[in-house]
Formats: sequence, C-alpha cells, structure tokens
Amino acid sequence: MRPLIELEQVRRVYLKGGEPLVVLDGLDLAIGAGEFVAMMGPSGSGKSTILNLVGGLDAPDEGRILVGGEDLGALSPAELAEWRARHVGFVFQSFNLLPVLTALENVELPLLLTPLGKAARREQARFALEIVGLADRMDHRPRQLSGGQEQRVAIARAIATDPAILLCDEPTGDLDRHSADQVLDLLERLCREHGKTILMVTHDEAAAARAGRIVRLDKGALVAGSGPA
Amino acid sequence: MSLGRLVLRHATSHPVRSLLTVAAVGVAMFLFCFLRSIVTSLDAAVKASASNRIVTASAVSLFQSLPTAYREQIRDVPGVQSVSRLTWFGGLYQDESGFFGQFGTDPEVILEQYPELLLPPAERAAWVADRKGCIIGAGLAEKYGWRVGDEIPLIGTIYPRVDRAEWRFTVCGVYRSAKANVDEMTLYFHWSYLDETLERGEAQGPRGTSVLLVRVQDGVRAEDVSAAIDAYYSGGPQRTRTQSEAAFQADFVNMLGNLPTFLGMIGAAVLLAILLGIVNTMTISARERVRSMGILKSLGFPDAVAAQLYLLESIALVGIGATIGLALAYGSVPFFRKLFGVQIPMYEVAPDTLVLAVFLTIVIGLLGGAVPALASARLKAVEALRRGA
Repeated sequence: MRPLIELEQVRRVYLKGGEPLVVLDGLDLAIGAGEFVAMMGPSGSGKSTILNLVGGLDAPDEGRILVGGEDLGALSPAELAEWRARHVGFVFQSFNLLPVLTALENVELPLLLTPLGKAARREQARFALEIVGLADRMDHRPRQLSGGQEQRVAIARAIATDPAILLCDEPTGDLDRHSADQVLDLLERLCREHGKTILMVTHDEAAAARAGRIVRLDKGALVAGSGPA
Repeated sequence: MSLGRLVLRHATSHPVRSLLTVAAVGVAMFLFCFLRSIVTSLDAAVKASASNRIVTASAVSLFQSLPTAYREQIRDVPGVQSVSRLTWFGGLYQDESGFFGQFGTDPEVILEQYPELLLPPAERAAWVADRKGCIIGAGLAEKYGWRVGDEIPLIGTIYPRVDRAEWRFTVCGVYRSAKANVDEMTLYFHWSYLDETLERGEAQGPRGTSVLLVRVQDGVRAEDVSAAIDAYYSGGPQRTRTQSEAAFQADFVNMLGNLPTFLGMIGAAVLLAILLGIVNTMTISARERVRSMGILKSLGFPDAVAAQLYLLESIALVGIGATIGLALAYGSVPFFRKLFGVQIPMYEVAPDTLVLAVFLTIVIGLLGGAVPALASARLKAVEALRRGA
C-alpha cells in the first residue's frame, strides 16, 4: 500500500549570515497511514524542518513532498492553507494557544475554517476537549491551566477538525514526567483508536519509545528508520 | 467563537491602551466636528439666504448710516417690492457680558420680507401695534428667561439716552427661525421709536439707518435692481453698495479673515495626528501578536484573514472612538450655542459633517490597520512562530 506521507529527495537550504546552510540533503522518508513515528536527532539535524515541510508551512528547494498522493509543491499558498486546515493538526512544544481565548474557543478556532455552523462547531470542540479529558476546563484561559493541560488543549485543537495527520514538535519538551506521560498516552490513543498518523519530533528517548517507529536524523540525512514499519 | 470575537478579545487584551486609543480618537473626532461646524454654521447663513432679497449699505462703511430718505427713493426703483430699515442698536443688557444683536426695523415690512421669521399671528399684531414693543428670538428668550410681557432694559451705547436712563422694550413676541440665515438670538424693535426719540432730543446718536433691506419683485433679476440702486446714488449724496443677502452675509464671515481656513487646517492636523497614533498603536499590537498570527496560519487561516484581523481591530477602535466623538459633538450643540451666543447663533453639526466624519473614520481605521495588516500578510507562518517564541 502507498505510504500516506512521502518525502522524495528533499533538499532544504537556509541562508545563515549570508552563507548557505544545508539542513536537509536529498532526504527520503515514507510514513504509512495510522503510523506513530518519532523523529530524533541532535539540534539542527532537520527534524522541525521536516515537520514544517510535511505541514505545508515551508517548501523544499528540491525534491517532492506527497501527502495522500498530493504533491504539496503544486499547491498555491492559499490552496496550501486550505489543505493544511483539512488534513493537518499541529502540536507545538510551547503549546501555542491564543492567550485571549478560552480553552473551548482555542479548540473551536480551526473549525472556523470548516462549513460547520456555530452550534456544530461548539459541539465538536466540546467533544475534542472530552477526548483529551478537559471537558471541565473549557472556560479556562490558557494562563489558568497547567502546562500539561495546555498541551492537551493544544492536542484537542489539533484534532478538532479530524485531520488525518498530527505533527507534534517536541510535545512533551516543556512538561514534567507525569504530564508528559498523559500527553503521550493521549497521542498513543489517538493513533490506535482514531487512526491518526502521528509524526513526533522529540529529544526524549522515553517519549520516542512510545512510538511505533523511530527515525533518526543527523546532518540532514536519515540514519535509521526511513520506511514504514 | 468567531473572528469578530477574536478581534474583540485582542482589542480588549490591553484595556488601558485600548481605552486611551478610543479616547484619543474620540477627542480628535469631536475636535474635527466642532471646528468644521464653526465653519459650516457660518457658511449656512450665507447658503440659506434668499435670492430675492438684497441689502443696500453705505459704500464707505457698514458703520456709516444711510439717509432715511433713501427708503422712499429706493421703493420707486423699478423691480423693488418693499424696503425695510435696519439699524444696529448696539445696546447692553445689564453689563458688557449681556451683549446680543438688537435692530430697529419696520415690523410690518420685515415680517413680510422674511417669512422664515416665524411669529404667531397674535404676537405679530401685538408687536406692530406697540411702538415700544419688540420681538426676541427663542434662543434669547431661553438664555435670559424672558417671556411675552416682560420689559427688557438696555443701556444705549451708540444711542445713549440723555437722562442716562435705560431704553425699555416690551416683549410682544418670541420668534423662531425656519432657516439658518435668521438666528434666534436677536431683538427687533420699531425703528420709528428710535428715530422719534432721537428727534425729540431724548437720546443721542446717528440718524438714518444702518442698511436697507430690499425685497425684489418676483421675476426680476436681483442683480439688475442692485445695479440700478447703486447707479442712482453714484453721484451722491452718499454712494451705496447693494449686494445680495448671501454676499452681505458672506462679508461678515470674511470679516473673520482666514479663520475658516485656519480652523480647517487645525482639524486636518488633528486627524493626521490621530492617524499616526493609530498606526503606532496597531504596530505595537502587531509586534506583540506575531506568534498569534503564526498560530493562525499554522491552523490553515489564509494570509488575508490574518490581515483582516488587524484591519477590523483598527476600524473597531477608531469606530468606537469616533462614535463617542460624534455623540459629544452633537450633544454639545446646545452648550456651544449658548457659549457662542450672538457670534455663531445657529451653530450646529451639519449632516455633511457627519457623513465626512464617518468617511474619515473608515479611512483612518483602514490606514491605521493597513501597516500591520500588510506586514502580517507577508509574514510566513514558520517565521512568525520562530520570531514570536
């Protein structure tokens, strides 16, 4: 079966101080639908760049990125934004919730991009918060929540539109062990019970061990785990 | 949840800043409306003037009286329907602060010439019949609490009584004005009462009349009649300058020099200052919200939506401030009418000032939000998230 996410000969070069810095150099990576993949490697190895490329937030200098058979390079910025809203949910290390909105409103935010009506949006946001176990915190602002709760709200927001792919950039990086375990339990459950394909960047071996597969990067190239398990 | 609510939450996330911004816009818009209203109120009297009325004055100066005989002579000029005398009395009520316009005139003629001077028939008849009677504008009646039957004592400055007593006029009626060219802060009395008092030597002052108000017959060109009158007196004994009522009113406005231009420039400067202030506020807000914009973009919101948020916020802040400013401008009309008194008796905020203010509000709102909106639209999600971290 064809993988859900395919990176073919992807090269990404940034300019740093006027000098080219090769972050990814001819990288090939395939991730199957419903996989939970942890991506590890030293800082600057290109992990977050891969997340941004797969999420359509960045574009490769060379190579192709196919998601569900669709070449992201062929989409205009507006089409890419629309595609992202339908297919991808992001979970960031620092949660990235809007501080002026309540938990429920933060989760409802991506649903504004769907054709759902107000009541349906609210219902779906409540459901997402129930999934992450925060139905009783929906009217709290981010600053009224613990780090673990904030990250679970962020996950609820990521799954609110029911995307196929979750891209998690060090989701447990700012959390204590207990909260990190809760978040990882949740991600595991989302993969197992809801069929989400999860690509998670982490520095934490214990977190990576919760994934079905670990890919390791070094200096812009994969050193282990390039294809679906 | 909606984008509108997000705009509202952002706008109120720094309540003190937002309140100060709204207050600044409110004050600026009030100032703009106030300054413009001074100009338009002065101008309104000119615009509301009738085209069938002309004013004959001395060609030398407005302060030079015309001989009384001119009235009869001008009445015989072809095309003239009626002529009334109008003499500036210049009296004071109680002290120098009690200054308002007082004119000696011909009651029956001026009431016929000025249908916009609204007076109940009974009061009209009473004034015509009472040689010591007067009529006062509703604004004047309200200001001093005068009613029909009251006696108004005035100290003559141009026409002092030889016994140093006050002139006394009985209020026969309170008029209202149907148009901006007639104010409601003036007292009209019988010209003949003034003239007879001077004749008897009981008061001193120039004889004659300050100006003559001429009503032109229907179908006759006012310009032709004006030219005929001035031609008639071109050889003396006193040359005249006859002009339309509008031009006569405009002369008073022009006596203020470049005041309208000056006020207009201040108004424009105030608006420019507030535009810069809004741009500054929105730019600071945008800098604080780079990360939020990155989040929205990562969720799939297009660049245009991120830009719209800033534009909407800017328009909302400016709109609320402008609404307060406009409400203040309208609400303060009675106060300024009293304050300005006879200087600008028909002070009001004209509808076109409201339209212009709304238009400027939208322009300032859009321009104020445009700088951060454009920057936000150009910013890539990854860059926004990195810079906001």
